[in-house]
Amino acid sequence: MTPVIETRGLVKRYDGELAVAGIDLVIGPGEIFGLVGPNGAGKTTTMKILATLLPPTAGEAFVCGISVTEHPIEVRRRIGYMPDFYGVYDDLRVWEYLDFFARCYGVPAARRAGMIGELLEIVGLSDRRRSYVETLSRGMRQRLCLAHTLVHDPAVLILDEPASGLDPRARVEMREILRELRGMGKTILVSSHILPELAEMCTGVGIIDRGRLLRSGSINEIERSLRATALLNIDVLGDAEALASARDWLGTDPRVGDVLMTSDPSDGATRLEVPFDGGADEQAALLAAMVQAGHRVSAFSHATSDLEEIFLKVTGQQDQVEAA
Amino acid sequence: MTATGWAGADRRLAAPREFFSAVSTIMVKELRSRMRGRRAFVVLTVYLGLLALIAYGIYTVVAPSARNQAAFGFGGPTFANASAIIGQTIFSLLSVFQLILVCFIAPAFTAGQISLEREKQTLDLLISTPMRPGAIVAGKLLAALAFVGLMIVAAIPISAIVLMYGGASIDDIVRQQVVLLATALGFGAVGLFFSALLKRTQIATVLTYCTVLAFTLGTVMLFIFWTVLVTRDATNVGPLGPTQRAPEQIVYLNPMVGMLDVVANTEPGGGGGIASMMNQLRGTPGVDPTLGGAGGQVCKGNVCFAADQFGNPIGNVAIDPGPIVPQAVGGYFWPRFVITFGALAILLTIASARLVIPAPMRFAFRRRRRGLPPLPEGPMTAEAGSRVASPIVDEIPSPADD
Repeated sequence: MTPVIETRGLVKRYDGELAVAGIDLVIGPGEIFGLVGPNGAGKTTTMKILATLLPPTAGEAFVCGISVTEHPIEVRRRIGYMPDFYGVYDDLRVWEYLDFFARCYGVPAARRAGMIGELLEIVGLSDRRRSYVETLSRGMRQRLCLAHTLVHDPAVLILDEPASGLDPRARVEMREILRELRGMGKTILVSSHILPELAEMCTGVGIIDRGRLLRSGSINEIERSLRATALLNIDVLGDAEALASARDWLGTDPRVGDVLMTSDPSDGATRLEVPFDGGADEQAALLAAMVQAGHRVSAFSHATSDLEEIFLKVTGQQDQVEAA
Repeated sequence: MTATGWAGADRRLAAPREFFSAVSTIMVKELRSRMRGRRAFVVLTVYLGLLALIAYGIYTVVAPSARNQAAFGFGGPTFANASAIIGQTIFSLLSVFQLILVCFIAPAFTAGQISLEREKQTLDLLISTPMRPGAIVAGKLLAALAFVGLMIVAAIPISAIVLMYGGASIDDIVRQQVVLLATALGFGAVGLFFSALLKRTQIATVLTYCTVLAFTLGTVMLFIFWTVLVTRDATNVGPLGPTQRAPEQIVYLNPMVGMLDVVANTEPGGGGGIASMMNQLRGTPGVDPTLGGAGGQVCKGNVCFAADQFGNPIGNVAIDPGPIVPQAVGGYFWPRFVITFGALAILLTIASARLVIPAPMRFAFRRRRRGLPPLPEGPMTAEAGSRVASPIVDEIPSPADD
């Protein structure tokens, strides 16, 4: 697969402070790649380098195979960039704002009018076409800024925290738009420090902390590579005694952590929360063994650890490594 | 929508077209927001109202004394002369007032243009477009000048009042306009430069006005002090030769000198005092140095009078003007001022274009200019780092293909 975005040993140093410490990223066409990390992890710096707004201290970055330092203008023609913080020209109308950026990218006049309509349709601002930008809500501005990245129909979108500061509804809308853009064949690099936001829509995730890319791949891959201590929810038929014996039986397995008995507030049922150190195969084996041991398992669900857990785990491991 | 279809055009031919299209893009946007609402029209109305008021004020003050002067002064008691004095005074003062207003207004329109984009965090969006920084800066400057130019041109009818009285011709009004526009261009570029150089609009504005003061007052003061220094031991109080004066190039930077030179160039001898002031700057106070002799002459129209070293007429007996032509008193400084300010504007615009790019990114553009490596024809593959022949745009489906 030909990478659309590629970085090799990307390093960025601000006044001796390492912001990005050797990041290698490979993102293929049509992917939505989420860059996840706490504030100050180096997400914005990496994205700014890719958007040709910052030169790397060392290493190389390519967009569509074009070096961002050698041909910045060519790279700009191929990307749409949405910064994490940005202002809008508030004395312009919505359509004028998009028209302005379309002109900036040299979109011919004949195409502009139709395209602005299409873009406003995509981001759901068609009815605000003639409003002044200053009258838009935060979520609308965010969507307008997203629309501005699309005026020249770029192959690549670099979106820095597109959903930051949005209410849950606006977040969902933003997510829907990104999914739609992916359907249009765009390659999207999106960052966030709020992880569940990315979990559902990303084909790949890079976890970044203190300028290092700690893990990269699909969420499943990362999970597997971590041999994640999955959290299993196990329901056992029978009274409290049956539950307790199942718990004791599980406790003999060395791969099982401290088992919790929790009662579900919705139906009052009691179930076991089992931290299990093993992949899908081992989990299946555990279930088989459990049934063989005579426990009447009625539900054995794999509580998928979401990005947030993965993230905490990965960055936690890093802390342990550094502490050691 | 096809992906980057327009980008495939021949770059070499497209470059200038792209540049001017970018300039017009910025201009359209700037003018759209500038001319929006009441503000622009209020500013224009106030400006024209003020000038009209000044013109009327000058008339009421100058008319009676002009009639007296015409009756008892040079050239005999003719109405034509009184009228010319009125017209000329209105023209002189109006030109100077307009110049002062332009000196204040032109930088005000540009001193925030880049720094405000920084402060409002819109600059990143702008420079992440393929537009050249030079085009962005030129567009901003021209947009500001378009409005200042509108104010200047809209005031022509007020200056044209003098055509009713005489004393200044259409040529003079054209020269006045050229000097005003050059001033707007130069000081506009100064504002733009500081705006691009500094992060904060406030500081950029302060430094811009300091520069305006340095150009309008500082140059004259420097010229005078310099001249005093080089001539303090000289016993010769007659016209100073070029070696005894500060280099006159200093005052090429002064729009006021340029404008007074235009005023001095008007028909009835440029209000005497102003004309002689210009000649002082040139080191030829109303006399052709080749004639020699102390004192000199000052000419009003075609009639010349003996003059003291300050160019003030002595007595009222006409003398033979000799080789001096009446036009010699003016028309020397303003073309030099216009050229200097034009060059200054171009230099500052180029400098601003460099400064618009965020400091760490400038090196990338430097590298561009020193022979850059060829653009890859296709994307780089991850494994081998080799080029793939097909352009990437073919591989990524565009929305139209869906």
